[in-house]
Amino acid sequence: MNERIYQFALWLDGKASSTALHESFYMYNWIESTHVLALMISLGMLFLIDLRMLGLALPSVPATTVAQKLNVPMLIGFSVMMVTGLLLFYAIPVRTSQSLWFRIKFVLLIAAAVNALLFHRRMRAAPAGWDTAPRAPGNLRLGAALSLAFWVGIVICGRFIAYDWYDCREEPAALIAALAGCIPGQEVF
Amino acid sequence: MAIPFGRTLACALLLAVGLGFALSNARVEAWQALLPLFEWMETTLFGVIGKTWGGVFAVVQAGHLLSMAMLGGAVLAADGRLLGVLFRDQPLAAVQAQAHRVFVWSLVVVVFTGVFMACGVAIKIYYLPVFWYKMLALLVGVLFAFLVRRPLLADDPETLSPLVRRVVAVASIMVWFTVAATGRWIGFSG
Repeated sequence: MNERIYQFALWLDGKASSTALHESFYMYNWIESTHVLALMISLGMLFLIDLRMLGLALPSVPATTVAQKLNVPMLIGFSVMMVTGLLLFYAIPVRTSQSLWFRIKFVLLIAAAVNALLFHRRMRAAPAGWDTAPRAPGNLRLGAALSLAFWVGIVICGRFIAYDWYDCREEPAALIAALAGCIPGQEVF
Repeated sequence: MAIPFGRTLACALLLAVGLGFALSNARVEAWQALLPLFEWMETTLFGVIGKTWGGVFAVVQAGHLLSMAMLGGAVLAADGRLLGVLFRDQPLAAVQAQAHRVFVWSLVVVVFTGVFMACGVAIKIYYLPVFWYKMLALLVGVLFAFLVRRPLLADDPETLSPLVRRVVAVASIMVWFTVAATGRWIGFSG
């Protein structure tokens, strides 16, 4: 599996546009800035929804209204974040695919997506009239708390990707190397 | 006795003073006088932790980012209501008051984590123009939020003309966007 990921990353790395993107100071930084600013929109909306469920924000606005109204800007923000995130990966494919933090972030993103699906399913199944209460029912509060925790983890891991602590080039301990997908004898990092 | 257009005059005076400061030699003198403060910041506990433990610095950076996201959410929710694109069926005053509470808490965390980060790289950011642009934008944002936006919407925001509401909302979004964008650019500079 790691060998396939490495080969795929090498293939991407061989593209002229990948190198051009990586080496373009302004383009790369614009994309990264857009990624972070889109995060402000999407996470800002998501956090308001989660905090509303926990009874910590906008308590007089019905919870379903908060969720429905903020869903659109949140999804727009997520879309921009996804596109710019893919471009950032494309610019530095080998190092990123072998980053322990990127891999944890990826797992957390999947967990957050599954949690969001379950959350919306539970919200639709909740008995009528719950959304005017200052706090949502227990299962929705759990979903909101998990969402907050996953996204805090995602942002921390995203920040850690910039650091080279466990890069394959640094020859980390065997367990870290296995988790990061380092390939023995690899020449491209 | 209340002065007619008191707040407008106060804002105009503040802008004139700011402009005078920016265009005169006082700006450079103030910048030079601040160097000892930035040198001291690096010797504080925050400065030592920030410089010694990259992991702690990165976690605080993430906290800064998360609180900026929360602040952005509060600003967009409140200004979205002012613009009439969000929560149109909810009372304007209630949405403003509740979003303002989230805004204030987020701002406290933004400033605290920002001060921590600044201590770790104080001398570096002292020489970065973009850091000062961010501080200026932050100052404008805070003054605007507490001295213009809040008093304007405190009484009965429904009575404000739609044009004033829109201008306030757009100005607010623009200034906080500038704070976030210049903050991001600090990471690319130096």
